[in-house]
Amino acid sequence: MEDDRNREELTELLGRFFGPSEAESAEREIRAGDRLFDVSPSPQVAPELLEDIKQRIAVRLAAPRRGSHPLYRYGGAAAAVIVVALIGFFGRPAQEPSDIHYASLIPAALWDSDDIVSDDMKLAYFRSELRRVETQMLALDADDGEVATGALDEVEMELIRIERQFWKE
Amino acid sequence: MVDLYGGRCYGYFYRLTGDRDLSDELLSELFVKLVEKIGSYKGGSFESWLFRIASNIFHDHLRSRKRQKKLAEGRRADLEQRPTETAQSDLTGDKLDRLQIQLNRLDSDTRDLIVLRYYSEMSFKEIAAIRSEPIGTALSKLHRGLGKLRELMEG
Repeated sequence: MEDDRNREELTELLGRFFGPSEAESAEREIRAGDRLFDVSPSPQVAPELLEDIKQRIAVRLAAPRRGSHPLYRYGGAAAAVIVVALIGFFGRPAQEPSDIHYASLIPAALWDSDDIVSDDMKLAYFRSELRRVETQMLALDADDGEVATGALDEVEMELIRIERQFWKE
Repeated sequence: MVDLYGGRCYGYFYRLTGDRDLSDELLSELFVKLVEKIGSYKGGSFESWLFRIASNIFHDHLRSRKRQKKLAEGRRADLEQRPTETAQSDLTGDKLDRLQIQLNRLDSDTRDLIVLRYYSEMSFKEIAAIRSEPIGTALSKLHRGLGKLRELMEG
């Protein structure tokens, strides 16, 4: 039986909805339609366009989110500060960290997975979040002391959000 | 991701519009939107999610063009007939292939179904879900549509 490029058993599916002769005719028509498209490929997408799209995506991911709620802005920045502080207090290893220690920041599920497409998207999102935190840290540094007091709850919320989105992938 | 799906999505847009420049625009819009909406991807078939967004972008474009035409010309312009009017060449003057010319003669719903089925490589169950219609209906429409297309190609 001919493999179906659409990942389904066409004969069986058509048999459920049509009588035998109509199912046979429909299958013949569908397979002929696939062949018609196979021998008449559409124009190729220009490589320049694909490069342009990649650049646009990179710019979009690199840009800080405009209009995000101050709660999250300050929360994210404060969370980053706390994470850095915790690493300073508890995370300092007895010896110099190896590359593996840095790599292990990425959720283990991504390393174990073979789903490149899905993982690419997750990594892109992960990277954009890191960039956002980095930007917020720089902003915090520039503002120096203008963070509102009582931001502890906000920090906690941000930590919970980060934990949910990345570390439990 | 762009390299992996760019060609198929471009083919999808091109076979729907018959216009390279417009397909370029829609493809760019698709991937930018994909990045914006990545948080809403809940797993499952990535292709199904991708082509659902592509289909929405195309139909948004159709609606937008219809509104523009109404405003500009003050008449009820049926945008879906536009490909038929420019049957031999697209807006950039590129010659259309025979399949594109005949595809443009089908009604937009049938064309959409045929093109979606071929380029998305989704199952009928997924296609029917995207189109919000029963699988049997999608099968019947495809059967009839491909029969018509074959007649046009042979004629």
